Parts: sequence; C-alpha cells; structure tokens
Amino acid sequence: MFKDITLGQYYPADSVIHRLDPRVKLLGTLVYIASLFIGKTFFTFIPISVFLVAVIILSKVPVSFILRGIKPIIPLLIISVIFNLILTPGDSVIVHFWIITINWEGVWLAVFIAARLAYLVAGSSILTLTTTPTRLTDGMEKGLRFLKPLKVPVHEMAMMMSIALRFIPILTEETDKIKKAQMARGADFESGNIMKRVKAMIPLLVPLFVSAFRRANDLATAMEARCYSGGDGRTKMKPLMYTVHDFIAYGIIGAYLASVIVMRVFGL
Amino acid sequence: MPIIDVKHIAYDYENRDEEGREISYRALDDVTMEVQEGDFIAVLGHNGSGKSTFAKHLNALLVPSEGTVYICGMDTADSGSVPDIRESAGMVFQNPDNQMVASVVDEEVGFGPENIGVPTPEIWKRVEVALEAVGMYAYKDSSPTRLSGGQKQRVAIAGILAMNPKCIIADEPTAMLDPKGRADVINVLHRLNEDQNVTVILITHNMEEVTDADRVFVMEGGKVVLHGTPEEVFSEVEVMQKLRLDVPEVTKLAFELKKRGLPVRDGILTREELVKELKRIHGTYNA
Repeated sequence: MFKDITLGQYYPADSVIHRLDPRVKLLGTLVYIASLFIGKTFFTFIPISVFLVAVIILSKVPVSFILRGIKPIIPLLIISVIFNLILTPGDSVIVHFWIITINWEGVWLAVFIAARLAYLVAGSSILTLTTTPTRLTDGMEKGLRFLKPLKVPVHEMAMMMSIALRFIPILTEETDKIKKAQMARGADFESGNIMKRVKAMIPLLVPLFVSAFRRANDLATAMEARCYSGGDGRTKMKPLMYTVHDFIAYGIIGAYLASVIVMRVFGL
Repeated sequence: MPIIDVKHIAYDYENRDEEGREISYRALDDVTMEVQEGDFIAVLGHNGSGKSTFAKHLNALLVPSEGTVYICGMDTADSGSVPDIRESAGMVFQNPDNQMVASVVDEEVGFGPENIGVPTPEIWKRVEVALEAVGMYAYKDSSPTRLSGGQKQRVAIAGILAMNPKCIIADEPTAMLDPKGRADVINVLHRLNEDQNVTVILITHNMEEVTDADRVFVMEGGKVVLHGTPEEVFSEVEVMQKLRLDVPEVTKLAFELKKRGLPVRDGILTREELVKELKRIHGTYNA
C-alpha cells in the first residue's frame, strides 16, 4: 500500500549532498520551492532545471527513483491540466465545441502549472532521499531554534517528528497483520465501490489506533525511565557542525535565488 | 547499605467503573525486599501477581501508596531525587519495539546519556563500551527494525548500560522472544552481573530463567509468598504447584521419587545434580 511513496524515504549513498548539513538542505529546499513560485515565465525553468539536475547528479540518487516519486501525483496533475485547459479565459481560441472552449492561454497555463507541480515534488523528494530522518529533525530543531524565545516548543516538535518517522515501519507492519487477520475472518478489502471500501477500512483502523495508543503509552514510560525530561540540559551524541562545504552550498543557494529574482524583475 | 531497600510497600490502582464510581484495586500488599549490590535477583509470578507493578516502583515510575522504597539510599517518593534514581536503576521493558526512540542503533543507545547531559565525546565512548558488552557492536549503524527480537532487547540493555547504572531492572524482557533470543538476553544479564557487578532484578514467569539467580522472590496476589535461593524455593514443590507455577521437570521428578520413598535431597535443579544424587543413593544401597 505504501510502496510507491518515495517522499519521506531515505536513499543511502555517499555523496556531497548526503554529507551536507541538514540545515543547508532545508533552506535549499525552501529556496527551491520559493523559486518555483517566483518564476512567471518558461525562461525561469532554465536556472531551475540546471539547479535541479545538478543536485540530482551530485546526490547520486537514480533518476528513476525520483520519477517514481512523481507517479502518485499524476492524477492530481491530470486534474489540474484539465481544469486549466477548460477554465482559463482567453481570446486565442483553438477549439470550440458545445460549452467547452480551449484557448492558447489555457494550454500555456496547464503546462506551466503541471511543470511547477512535478518540479516541486521532484525537488523536495531530494531532501528526504539524501537526509536520514534523525538528521532532518536535528536540522529542524537547530535551524528553528530562533523561535524558542517565542515559546515555540521546537525540541518537542522535532522529537515528535522523529518518533513518528521511527514508528512508520512498525505501524505499516501492524496494519498488514491486522488486515490479514481480518481477511482470515472474511473481511473484504478489495471489492465493491469506493464507499464500500472506505467502510471496510473501519475494522482495520480501529485496532490500529488502539494499538498505536498503547505503543505511545509504552514508549512514554520507557523514555521517562531513561531520564528524558524535554530539551533542557540535554547533550547531543551527533551535534550538527558546519563545514566548508556547507558555506559553499549556502553561497550557491544564494546565487541561485538571486538569479531567479533578477529574471523576475526583468520580466523574463 | 542495601542498594534496593523496599519496606512494606502497598500500591492501589485508582480507576473508575462504567458509572464513574471510584474503585481501587490493591496491586501490591506489604512487599518487603532487600537487595545487596552485585546480587542477581529473580521475581517470579503469574500475570496479575503484581510483579510488573513492583518493578515500576524500583525506577520511581510508580510511588507506593504505603511504605517506602529506597534506591541507593534515595527515597523514590522524593521527586527531587527521581532523575538520580533513574540514572542508577535502569529499566528494560517487555516489548522491544515500544521502548526504542531512535532509528539507528547507536543513537538509540546514546539516548539515555544525552538525556542526562553527558558530553559528546564521552557519549561515543559509552555507546561503544555498552554495545561491546552486549555483543551488538557490529550492528551499530543498523536500523532497529532490521534486528531480531533478542537483538533488540540486547540493544535496549545497552541503552541502559550506557547510563552507567548500578542496577538493571528487567521487566519480562524475554516474554516476546524466541528461545534463542531468550537465552541470549539472559546470558547477557548474567555476564553483566558477573563481570561488571551490576545488580540485576529479573522479572519473569519463566522457571528456567530463575535457576541461576542468587535469590528468588515468588509473588502472588500482590504479596511475596516465597523467597530464598532457587534451591529453597523449588524445594517447595507443593506450594509452587498450588500457585500454578511450574518447577523444572528434574525437580518434579526428584520430588516424586522422594515421595515414593527414595532419600533424594531437596533443591535439585539440573539433570546433572539428579544423576549425581541417584548415583550416590545407588552407592549407599550397594554398600
């Protein structure tokens, strides 16, 4: 059920991108997403593509892996293309039949939005493909530390996230087990219309929730027994430290952002 | 000074029934136990005998309703000393998956030292030593999901060990394991006890794990009903059977032989002992 989702999966390899500080990668991803929305013309896809392709090559993650991540959003892409095609107002009509009008503006927008979405998913999957969940949450914890004076529980949020990630494989396995147990007693998950299938999920979800709560309770006890008492006074086994590479990467990200903004300003 | 000193404790679970009335259930009743440093203690009992509730008192996860618990001289009811108590008395739980926090083995072992503020280089040293001690160093970069149950439990023990505890409380650590994993975990506990003089409290319902302990406490209905060396406890074959607790097969055989008139001594726990004893008796008959 969860096999095709590459978003959130880690691809182990030894590359420059893998070794970068997670804070750099987090900021890089944010800048990349922002750049997709700064761009208003097809020309902006030139620097964006160069950036994305360079990062993919450097990361040593196979392209097929990244393309697989786009697969689950294909229905979304198709819907957005259809809506943009028929609902965009414009004068340069190509086809007109019954109540549907397709014009050049619609085609342009459909392709543009679809490309944006595909780039968005491909780019952001690089972050999780090259960063272990622990480093990712460490990066978030340290990178967002400036929010702590505002009473944002940064450490607690990071801890919750890393525990959630740790329990994904365990709960997936459990779902499978419950599903098989229910099927052994005659439950049917595969046939019927959507309503029927959604209803069939209830006997799956209820035991899963109960067991998740029990696990959470156990884990909380175990953490307490090991002296966990929040982020204060805690040391780190693997503290984050910037290296030269990270500063170079910050420079490249800055230059990239500047180039996209300049293009926007000059209307390219 | 005993490392663990439990004095006449009782514990009541407060709960509400379906109509919202308060009901309380006495899970522990007048339990007293004294443990010296370096002891290997086994607590034996059925589900619902109160043994897990008792274990939680030794780590200050629960505070007794009556009586006092001293760990290394510190009172568990004094909330100020709770962090120190948890540092000196670590606890291993039953379900190996539900007590792991991190996604990599070495980070999992480092979690405890991180919590008590050990400096980074020292954490690395402790993690290495702890993983070596349980024989899991080769797996330090693996994900816990890829390990077997017995390996996970050994990692959990290493996680406790990295906090340099004086005492390890293992609450049914083998209940969810296969025989091989079970033996591995028990061996690790014994080795730590012998080599590093770590005090071990093993909570279990499995007889075989008890025979090598220094002392055994048998619990039933929240009370300690029997205690002594394994030989003393298993000599009480009839009491044990009344408690629906099994004694090792050899002990049962020796007991039956004695009932039929053979002068077999009490407290036989292994096959070798029984063979030796039978040979001795055989010798006296021939003489």
